[in-house]
Amino acid sequence: MDNLTPMFVVIPLAAGFVIPMVSRRLRAASDVFGVLVMSALAVMAAAGARRGGVYAVGDWVSPQGIPLGIEMRLDGLAALLLIAVNAIGLAAVVFSVDYMRRYTSKLRYYSLFMFMVAGMNGVVLSGDFFNLFVFMEIAAIASYALVGFGCGHEELEASFKYLVLGSVASAFILIGVAIVYNMTGTLNMAHVATRLAGQPLGRPMVLALALFLCGFGLKAALVPFHAWLPDAHPSAPAPVSAMLSGVVIKALGIYVMARLLFNVFGAGAAALAVLRGMGALSMVAGVMLAIGQWDMKRLFAYHSISQIGYVALALGLGTPLGIAGGLFHMLNHSIFKSLLFLTAGAVEYATGTRDLKRLGGLRARMPVTAGTSFVASMSIAGIPPFNGFWSKLIIVLACVQAGRHGLALAAVAVSLLTLASFLKVQRYAFFEAAKGGTEHVREAPPLMALAMVLLALLCAGTSLLALTGIASPALIDRAAQALQAGVFGLP
Amino acid sequence: MNGLGDILRHPVGLTIGVPLLTGLIGRLLPRAWRREQGIVAVAGTAVAAMLAWRVFAAGGLMPGAGPWLVVDGLSRFVLAAVATFGFLIALFSLGHAAVPPVAREYYAYLAWTVGIACGAVLANDLILLLVLWGLLGLTLYVMIGLSGPDASAAAKKSFVIVGGSDCLLMLGIVIVWLLTGSTRMNGPVLPFTGGLTYAAFLCFAAAALAKAGAVPVHSWVPDCGEKALAPVTAFLPASLDKLLGIYLLARVTRGMFAPDACMNLVLMAVGAVTVVAAVMMALVQHDLKRLLSYHAVSQVGYMVLGIGAGTPLGLAGGLFHMLNNAVYKSALFLCAGAVEEKAGTTDLDRLGGLARAMPATFATCLTASLAISGIPPLNGFFSKWMVYQGIVQSAGAAGPVWVVWLAAAMIGSALTLASFAKVLHAVFLCKPAAGTDLREAREVNWAMRAPMLALAAVCVLFGVLAVPLPLRTMILPAAGGDTPMIGVWWSGTATAMMAAAFVFGLLLYAVSRAGRARECATYVGGEIVGASAAPAASVEVTGVDFYRTIEEMQPLQSIYAAAGKKLFDLYDVGTSVLFYFVEALRKAHGGVLPVYLTWVLAGLLILVWRLAQ
Repeated sequence: MDNLTPMFVVIPLAAGFVIPMVSRRLRAASDVFGVLVMSALAVMAAAGARRGGVYAVGDWVSPQGIPLGIEMRLDGLAALLLIAVNAIGLAAVVFSVDYMRRYTSKLRYYSLFMFMVAGMNGVVLSGDFFNLFVFMEIAAIASYALVGFGCGHEELEASFKYLVLGSVASAFILIGVAIVYNMTGTLNMAHVATRLAGQPLGRPMVLALALFLCGFGLKAALVPFHAWLPDAHPSAPAPVSAMLSGVVIKALGIYVMARLLFNVFGAGAAALAVLRGMGALSMVAGVMLAIGQWDMKRLFAYHSISQIGYVALALGLGTPLGIAGGLFHMLNHSIFKSLLFLTAGAVEYATGTRDLKRLGGLRARMPVTAGTSFVASMSIAGIPPFNGFWSKLIIVLACVQAGRHGLALAAVAVSLLTLASFLKVQRYAFFEAAKGGTEHVREAPPLMALAMVLLALLCAGTSLLALTGIASPALIDRAAQALQAGVFGLP
Repeated sequence: MNGLGDILRHPVGLTIGVPLLTGLIGRLLPRAWRREQGIVAVAGTAVAAMLAWRVFAAGGLMPGAGPWLVVDGLSRFVLAAVATFGFLIALFSLGHAAVPPVAREYYAYLAWTVGIACGAVLANDLILLLVLWGLLGLTLYVMIGLSGPDASAAAKKSFVIVGGSDCLLMLGIVIVWLLTGSTRMNGPVLPFTGGLTYAAFLCFAAAALAKAGAVPVHSWVPDCGEKALAPVTAFLPASLDKLLGIYLLARVTRGMFAPDACMNLVLMAVGAVTVVAAVMMALVQHDLKRLLSYHAVSQVGYMVLGIGAGTPLGLAGGLFHMLNNAVYKSALFLCAGAVEEKAGTTDLDRLGGLARAMPATFATCLTASLAISGIPPLNGFFSKWMVYQGIVQSAGAAGPVWVVWLAAAMIGSALTLASFAKVLHAVFLCKPAAGTDLREAREVNWAMRAPMLALAAVCVLFGVLAVPLPLRTMILPAAGGDTPMIGVWWSGTATAMMAAAFVFGLLLYAVSRAGRARECATYVGGEIVGASAAPAASVEVTGVDFYRTIEEMQPLQSIYAAAGKKLFDLYDVGTSVLFYFVEALRKAHGGVLPVYLTWVLAGLLILVWRLAQ
């Protein structure tokens, strides 16, 4: 398996170039190729979940002190993220086959999509700061382009804001990387971690940590660095929104924060408090901004801020239960949030609008979309038996266990508001009487429906992780162990 | 440890499994088989009800399911009641004309609700309870939503309140789990040692009260009652959710916590306010279903009063009242459904004179109305009588405040009678208002009549034979043993005497005045009716004219006006407060890039400052 590790980056990166070349003549080829590539990646991710190891690119030996060599590390946490990224990516690509017909250049779309996936896989597998930065930029730049893919006024404005704020974040991160290199003389995370272990952080390293938390916090859209997300995520085409809210903010944001905080900088009390604080703030502010929205995708986007807040809050508790709950919620959120965006896409595809005030009666006209949207809404609202219920239960349990009763109450209250705002979506889009002009509305095409049904099944299926996870070490446990192992080390 | 197969073959497992399977089968049948959907559901729930009664009769724990499920005095009688109501409602739905358009999902969710509710009642594991409790919220939401586009707002509101209380339940369960280290409900009783225990108890109580529909978390019940299909209301808010909510409250106050005087005081205050406030709202309603819903809220107050009394007699009274209320309240809602089907409306203004056309419905409604008003010898009287005794027994625990609770309970009872006098008059007795044509109204079919009459019969039976039948077999074992009454009431003797008096009166009437009827002005109890102040024989008194004076009396007028503006509705008040903050937050997100950049920089500075500490 070790030899396959770099393939997570190589395959999509190559596909990004190959797809436009081979499919110029044959339009359907790009669809087939895209789905095949993502299927292969998803299967590889699932198969590689139990493996682990370090892969030195080009067999460069990187002895202590000599900052040469590129390392890729596959541990439990990286495996969890790989599964999320590539499985959601597969669903998004399947959805795209029909959905992206409305846009002019499907080839460029697939190309950018593959770059985004390659960047995310690269970030997740990177074992050193510089590669992490490079892969992050690949994914980020691809996503700036994808946000503006519609080339309409709003899309371009959103893309521009995302670009500016994202670049600021990248600049902060680059400065942070420079400081780390300056202070430790290496960019390899494991080496940095061993140098930092056992002593208090010096002032420059504190600045570097603050820059990282700010930069990656912006990529994760934590309050107060969230302002780009509600514009960017709704503007993108639906499958891209699903990727952005489902996995990009996690792979580029919360994953890196967790990795750096726990495995490199050694999770100090102050840093955990910062993470908790940002998490709680995001959780509350996100849901309050979401509940007043009438644009379906915008409402979902604000909920991404809120749900990422849950993850950050749980990770910020720093307890084993908190870490496990946070990671589990991260996985669950990637599933139900991408499903929500896909259903919003299906609604927009069928009706031409995503304004809740103009929708209605879709329960009868689009049963598959209505059913999957209901499943996803119940999942995010934390209603059993769906996955969101279990991760919220673990998070609330972890909060009380850690003695953070106020945070537990906040988590519960936000859960209530989440339920209220998703019932609003259900009511106005699906249960209310149809407004005029929806006579022509029909169910989404089969492949779009397939993608939604698969994700809906996952919403129910990942619940089992909670049930089996209690008895046996499973996906989440392995990921949580990777974070608790302290210094970013060998599995 | 038994295998899954053994659990599924056991009657206890079957009570849960059969309805779930029934729902699945119904869901898989073709959409067009509407009649068959209903028959499958009726058959499935009938089997479940029989199994539940078998479990009730046999009792005893199921081997192997010990940590997960519990069959004790409390759970087995609630189980039997839940399954029986499920069957009766399915039967009623078979004849109800409003069901067929949504038959497939309706019957599936009905059966699932029965199965899940059976599981929730039997659950001994808190996490299992939480899951099933949440699922019940989900099925409640879908079943209200199925009633049509008009009901979507009510469905949302119901699920926000019920689902929101589930979140609190989650918090309570988590606290209990961490305090005791176990998720069993029948573990050791948790003493009130610190703030956390109080918080946990209040979380549980809030979840139970929201499910049962007590003030201030009641406001979903009237909305749901008005908009949802009659059998849905008769099943969920009127019977099932009352059974479950009060079951949980009883289980929590008896088996998990030992509420101290302070917590009992809180419960009794909630109960007293619920009784009076809801019945005052019921008095002035113009829609039959909405009026009944307010009574559904009001009656919860008695159960909470009984349980909050903290004495065995009060608990038994509360549980008996829970059962009785489920019986007569679902009977009343089924009557409302029958009236709605035949008259096309539930607006009291447009109804009247249906007693002749719908005798069975009238008989049911009359019996149930008298029962809910606490008229002896019907069941409602007996359980209220027990609750009163429980309140009197609680005297001394918290000073003379028990007098207030007793007064509230009694005033509530009187006002309930007043309110049902209005219902009976407006729907069945008075002449229909001008411009409404109810001549086509006929009695409903047997599938609807049978459950109504059965429930009415139970109202009589549980009243006349209260001690030997329900109390000995169900209520006292559930409340934990025999509790001597402090008051005296022999229902059998009293019934016989009342019957004798009634017969004597009839005889007297026949002998003295037969055939010599005298015309006189309609008695309107001093009310000012219509435009003219003088009551005259010619004035038609419709039901909605009742209690105008109460509505117009200060300070009640202001209170009603405030209630009309939803100032007492936690849901609406909460929404207003929330949106005040939401607007402020939204104003901050103006879409101006430099502002956002400023936030980023400010955030970075705060991070540096915080991390450097």
